[in-house]
Amino acid sequence: MMTDSEVLPAHDAPAARTAAAARREHVGRLLQHHGALIVLAVLVVVGSVAFDFFATPENAASVVVSSSFLAIIALGMTFVIISGGIDLSVGSLFVLGGVLAAYGSQAGVVVALLLPLAVCGTFGLVQGLIIARTGMAPFIVTLAGLLGVRGLMLALSNEGATTYLVKNPAFAALGQGELFGLTYPVYIAAALALLCMLLLQRTGFGQNVFAIGGNEHAATLMGVPVVRTKVLVYLMSGLLAGLAGALNAARLSSGVTILGIGLELDVIAAVVIGGTLLTGGAGSVTGTVSGVLLLGVIQSLINQIGDLTSSFQQVVSGGFLALVVIAQRLLSKAQRLN
Amino acid sequence: MTMEPGRHTRTAAIALAVVLAAAGCAKSEETTAAPAASDTQGRQVVQTPTGDAGPTCTLAKFGGTKFDLKAATVGFSQSEKEANPFRIAETRSIKDEAAKLGIQKLRVTNAQSQFSKQITDVQQLIAQGAQLLVIAPLNSDGWEPVLQQASAKKIPIITVDRKINATSCGDYLTFIGSNFYEQGRRAADQMIKALDGKGKVAILLGAPGNNVTTERTNGFKEQVRKQAPGIEISFEQTGEFAREKGQQVTEQLIQSNPDINGIYAENDEMALGAVTALKGAGKEAGDIKIVSVDGTRSAVQGIVDGWLYSVIESNPRFGPLAFETAQKFLDGQAIPDKVIISDREYAGDTAKAGLDEAY
Repeated sequence: MMTDSEVLPAHDAPAARTAAAARREHVGRLLQHHGALIVLAVLVVVGSVAFDFFATPENAASVVVSSSFLAIIALGMTFVIISGGIDLSVGSLFVLGGVLAAYGSQAGVVVALLLPLAVCGTFGLVQGLIIARTGMAPFIVTLAGLLGVRGLMLALSNEGATTYLVKNPAFAALGQGELFGLTYPVYIAAALALLCMLLLQRTGFGQNVFAIGGNEHAATLMGVPVVRTKVLVYLMSGLLAGLAGALNAARLSSGVTILGIGLELDVIAAVVIGGTLLTGGAGSVTGTVSGVLLLGVIQSLINQIGDLTSSFQQVVSGGFLALVVIAQRLLSKAQRLN
Repeated sequence: MTMEPGRHTRTAAIALAVVLAAAGCAKSEETTAAPAASDTQGRQVVQTPTGDAGPTCTLAKFGGTKFDLKAATVGFSQSEKEANPFRIAETRSIKDEAAKLGIQKLRVTNAQSQFSKQITDVQQLIAQGAQLLVIAPLNSDGWEPVLQQASAKKIPIITVDRKINATSCGDYLTFIGSNFYEQGRRAADQMIKALDGKGKVAILLGAPGNNVTTERTNGFKEQVRKQAPGIEISFEQTGEFAREKGQQVTEQLIQSNPDINGIYAENDEMALGAVTALKGAGKEAGDIKIVSVDGTRSAVQGIVDGWLYSVIESNPRFGPLAFETAQKFLDGQAIPDKVIISDREYAGDTAKAGLDEAY
């Protein structure tokens, strides 16, 4: 919207026009990269002024803690989407990871962590191999994963009726232990975000992910290892979803079987709201983190309003998503014109 | 952003018209759905007399401090989307009773069937200074983070309709709800009567992971095993307490088990889904005997129409009993560790008369 109003005063001189276009492109880039962050900042300020209980440490902690699990999954999804793919299996891998972690916790912390990582990582790896080697659509391959993995979880938990409890205090502490008022998963998510940021921006692997998502054919011609890179991003996505599930099981002290339904869509929404192009080739980790926090803040604000039914949360989140997609469309059109 | 005054009024007028129209719709629907419910109509009745059996809890034992309920912030966390009559009646009952008692600061959240959201919802209710929490839990396990926060602040939690697997009078205060095991047994009794003690029965199970499904299943199976060995349970699958899912499962059922005689649906929504599936398959009313649990208006109407054989009630009007229990607790009286309500049942002739009681 801002960009539109800036272009409206039409100058005749071409120089002025290019200057305006450059400015418009600059603002566009800024919006694309930091739009979610800007909206997040605005909402936090508005919420703090409007509601007594919004900016309290306790409420902030609840937003950040609940967002940390979504954030861990969204990190993997960011790589997948930048590479031009999609991973619909993360919601199912999240719940499977939780059930496996709770089950494995009977045998100690190491098993509780390694079992979900090994199984979910394998699923990610297999999906990646199928997508990269056969060229099948990621949407279909990971949709099969979504169904199959949830089925496996139901089989393991007696149709979901058996909830394994985490009796191992050391493993439970991993999800419940606190440092400066925030539980460990927040710090784990923050550390992983930093790691992913470096991986995406500062390594050859990150450059390859961008290259494949931008133009796969060109990337192949340039000698980018397309297959290897693709397999790695799906492996990463599976591992991170499994890890998030395991940490969540530690937090809840049980392998709850009804989690993660539709979670993949929340994750994709957060990534796209964070400015990552659904068509691939562009995106950032910071944007994704802002997108995740934005969804968390919207939920908190709706809860503050109290009597407003929670359905509005979905309306508002959906509205933001629509705005972002429209903005991205306009921006990419503008860039093509230039 | 700035609008001219004229446009403002026009927008306001349109908005008002929309609201009025919506209110009109809602009202007309309401009158057909639940006619003139008086204050006491369909109210929950306690089965186990208060303080009668089992351990009890007092304010001193719980370790809380007395507060004025009217002035307090009270949080209610609903679990599922308000798309089925049980949830609608439950939330409305809590809201109505709070309004009646003059509780100003009632905060209501709805987890939309997402468990992670319900945990965050309750944590945010605590962050908003809730002094009493009424929770309709989506799942029985996984409440650790909430229970830790609440017990650190000595906030009493009353769970309604489903249980939380934790310690009463400690992690949470008490549970108010039906005896689901008994509901299963009574459903079995009705099914045995409907089938004369022999035949093949299918079970549409509720959502996994909560005590309601487990107990309604176990109560039914054990009663059938004990009372009617001639009845064989030849099919069971989850319909997740949802109408569409109940319909879908029943469609598969009549394909795979065409000789089925009875269907036990663990809630009314799934039973109504089953009716749709049976109609689609060309069955007549009464061909297959359906027994279900809940007592929604549509299901009781289903008995009148002949499609359902019997409905065991599960009363969702938790408002009066929840706040009464809370008030007693705050007044220092002993309250039981679980408050079990008594439920009606609808079958045959009682169905038509019972339509007014149904929700």
